[in-house]
Amino acid sequence: MKVTYIINGKKQEFDISPGEILLDLLRDNGYMEVKGDCYEGTCGACTVLINNVPYASCTTLAAGVDEAEITTVKGLGDINNPHPVQQAFAKFGAVQCGYCTPGEILSAYALLLKDPDPGEEDIKRALDGNLCRCSGYMQQIEAVKIAAKMMREAGDNGRV
Amino acid sequence: MDLKYVGKDIPRVDAYEKVTGTTKYMSDLSFDGMLWGKVLRSIHPHALIKSIDTSKAKALPGVEAVVTWEDVPGLNGFGIAIQDQPVLCKDKVRYAGDAVAAVAAVSKEIAEEAALLIEVEYEVLPVVDDPIRAIEPDSPKVHESGNILLHTEIRKGDIDKGFDEADLIIENTYYASRQEHAFLETEDGIALIEEDGTLTVYAGSHYPHRDQLQLSRCLNMPVEKIRVVSSPVGGAFGGKDELTIQPIMALLALKTGKPVKMVMPREESIISYWKRHPMIMIYRTGVKRDGTLVANDVKVYADTGAYASLGGPILNLALESSCGLYRIPHVHIDGYSVYTNNGISGAFRGFGVPQVTFAMESQMDIIAEKLGLDPIEFRRKNILKKGEVAPIGHHITTDVESEAVLDAMEGSRLWRERERYRGTDKNRPWIKRGVGLALSWQGMGLGVGLPDFGDAVIEMDPDGGFIVRVGCVEIGQGAMTVYAQVAAEALRFPIERIRVVIGDTRNAPDAGPTTASRAAYVGGKAIFLAAEEMNEKIKGYASGMLSVSPDEIEIDDGSAYVKTAKDKRVSYEEISSYAIERGGLPVAEGHFDLPTADKAIEGAFGLPHHIYSCCGQIAAVEVNTLTGQARVTDGAVVVDAGTVINQGGLEGQSEGGFVMGTGYALTEDLIIENGVVKTPNFSTYIIPTSKDMPSSIETIPVTNYESTGPFGAKGIGEIGMVPTAPAVTNAIYDAADIRVFKIPATGERIYELLKQKKGENK
Ligand code: FES
Ligand code: FES
Repeated sequence: MKVTYIINGKKQEFDISPGEILLDLLRDNGYMEVKGDCYEGTCGACTVLINNVPYASCTTLAAGVDEAEITTVKGLGDINNPHPVQQAFAKFGAVQCGYCTPGEILSAYALLLKDPDPGEEDIKRALDGNLCRCSGYMQQIEAVKIAAKMMREAGDNGRV
Repeated sequence: MDLKYVGKDIPRVDAYEKVTGTTKYMSDLSFDGMLWGKVLRSIHPHALIKSIDTSKAKALPGVEAVVTWEDVPGLNGFGIAIQDQPVLCKDKVRYAGDAVAAVAAVSKEIAEEAALLIEVEYEVLPVVDDPIRAIEPDSPKVHESGNILLHTEIRKGDIDKGFDEADLIIENTYYASRQEHAFLETEDGIALIEEDGTLTVYAGSHYPHRDQLQLSRCLNMPVEKIRVVSSPVGGAFGGKDELTIQPIMALLALKTGKPVKMVMPREESIISYWKRHPMIMIYRTGVKRDGTLVANDVKVYADTGAYASLGGPILNLALESSCGLYRIPHVHIDGYSVYTNNGISGAFRGFGVPQVTFAMESQMDIIAEKLGLDPIEFRRKNILKKGEVAPIGHHITTDVESEAVLDAMEGSRLWRERERYRGTDKNRPWIKRGVGLALSWQGMGLGVGLPDFGDAVIEMDPDGGFIVRVGCVEIGQGAMTVYAQVAAEALRFPIERIRVVIGDTRNAPDAGPTTASRAAYVGGKAIFLAAEEMNEKIKGYASGMLSVSPDEIEIDDGSAYVKTAKDKRVSYEEISSYAIERGGLPVAEGHFDLPTADKAIEGAFGLPHHIYSCCGQIAAVEVNTLTGQARVTDGAVVVDAGTVINQGGLEGQSEGGFVMGTGYALTEDLIIENGVVKTPNFSTYIIPTSKDMPSSIETIPVTNYESTGPFGAKGIGEIGMVPTAPAVTNAIYDAADIRVFKIPATGERIYELLKQKKGENK
């Protein structure tokens, strides 16, 4: 069967099998920035945004989100033009091994779209589904606060 | 010295790649014609293999190879210390998860289906699951040689005399759980045959050069024909020190001639691979009324599971630290590392030391309370200093900043203001709050009798920048950044124009394993030495170009000039062209041998270490007396770090270590019953999330210059999680008056303890 998505702003069509998992579909088609191998929705490494809401792509059927707008971390910015959330994570020590990072950044970005000035508890709640084994989460939470501030000061809601 | 890069707030060199999703981990690679591999594993913890029939699997369309033990061309055994683990089992399986056969097929799905078509006939054997029972002579045997992998006994002084002198003797048995590394990237990678017939294996690990050596044994292939690339890694914490999937992927690639990729799903990863050793620790500690420790009798049973790997060295490192960093005249230490059918235990951050630290630091807390002594004062009274004799009988000859760490703990905000964090919560009277602390020490490097060195190479590139090559790996700890900082500082050259190449047997020299907190220290020092040689070469060229003698040349910021006439200078671009004209760009090498102790401890291989790090932690907890749930609200980490090369990196390691330690203290328990894993995923094996994070973690480095390290630095990668568990359980005691002898202190366990205490008080 055929599905169409808009991935990082670009329209894409795929021929899929009915049981195909979105994570596998994305990785098989080169979206290697989407990580994850728990396949049970518990680690958050495979997070993507579907219409700006974070989902675990490993427990999402590709067929179920036909015509969706999908955002991966590459959709937010690149090395030459990183998004404020990416900048804050890089600058303020929120990255260690980096395997959780794409998912965390997407969860943080989705939070900031809804709430430009979140409190600490809101941030913790937003990142709760993204496990990180390297950090103590402290630097990530700091980074989200800094990103929020950067975006507010720029008078821009950061939407890509 | 004026430092420009070391100790400065330099962002990680790999950060922007990681935040933009461009970093390629090993499983992100793919190649044309790639096949998927799948392992068939034993479901029995202990059984004889009667027959293996692969015919149905081979007949499935899309299957390109099925391999069993018969396809292993070399030694069907691997293991860092002892090679007793089969690549693929021949006649016996020793844990549920042991690899029996493997398939390569054109898709993941076909590979999975084919694996299920392999027919294995087993004869089930009785399961050995209790390490104490396992060493009894009539226990079933996991290995023909018996169930004791290693027995180490160390005596100092006269233990009986010590207990005679004691006014108080405290005896307790402690249990530490089996901890899962829970790195976010599971074991994965690709193996392929290059056009020239050589084998390349891409798989994250701690030490590509040792993987290469182990693979060459199993495959009966010369090391030069094997290239291992093992960095970057999406987390490891010791769990990728030993081989995992590499030999199986290699077999499949050799058999098919095609690239073969494997990715462990989370459950398979948890069931099949390495864990922290569970330990049973029986402690008897004698002390005088004035708080002087006089005797410690320690017995340790470590459950190493089905195969040796590093079980022996882990036991010995644990024993070395088992009496804490204290002066104790009479000591008897008796340790066993025991084979069972409980999965496989191996290296994990702390390498046996978190377990014994939990036991010893609980003893210390109990004694301080019984004698009415302040816990810091009591420790200070007994603290071991440079020049004194350690519990296992050797002299401490290097700086271990034990007293400074205690002072800093005492001076930390959390300790000074501890009264604010204690007592019953006013608004929620069922919440009891308390503060606890613990101290730890740990040997750095591999220990006496083991080759422990690092090599690094620095090359000037054609545009006058540098390439730094060193064999350690980036497992998230920030090695690349530290290497770039050390190189930039030592070369006095802009960090942006230094490229660091690591973790690849072809493109980087052997620098030893990225373990034992040694990567920054050893790799950094080798780079420092290479840089010194490079600077000499540069001065040589500059002196030729400027027609002065080399000692009149000074270098700084990418140019070389005459000391007395600063405008007479040449840039590194000019030097590189000059060098090319004269036969080639300069290359410099650095070799560093990690200093080791000059005398070994008899009967305890690898002991003692020579350089130690020390860490003290304070934890504030809340115990919910209605549910039994405990939560760490605040923490302080004091670490003897030598010179801090990167403050952000140090904080990352200390906060990450502290939070991993709180998981170990409170929730993490990989339960195996009758040889079967009961908690094989993140819904049953619970690691801390952002919601469990304490409100504050204060990191306080004690920065004494370590004269042997690069710019005075020491390793800090492991120690950050070592004392956390006892700091937390001591805080639980302070809060709720219950003593935890078994970690993790889960809600159920605390609830039980609270109930028992109520019963006693009635
Ligand atoms: S891979 Fe999707 S949540 Fe872990
Ligand atoms: S940085 Fe390694 S898991 Fe988060």
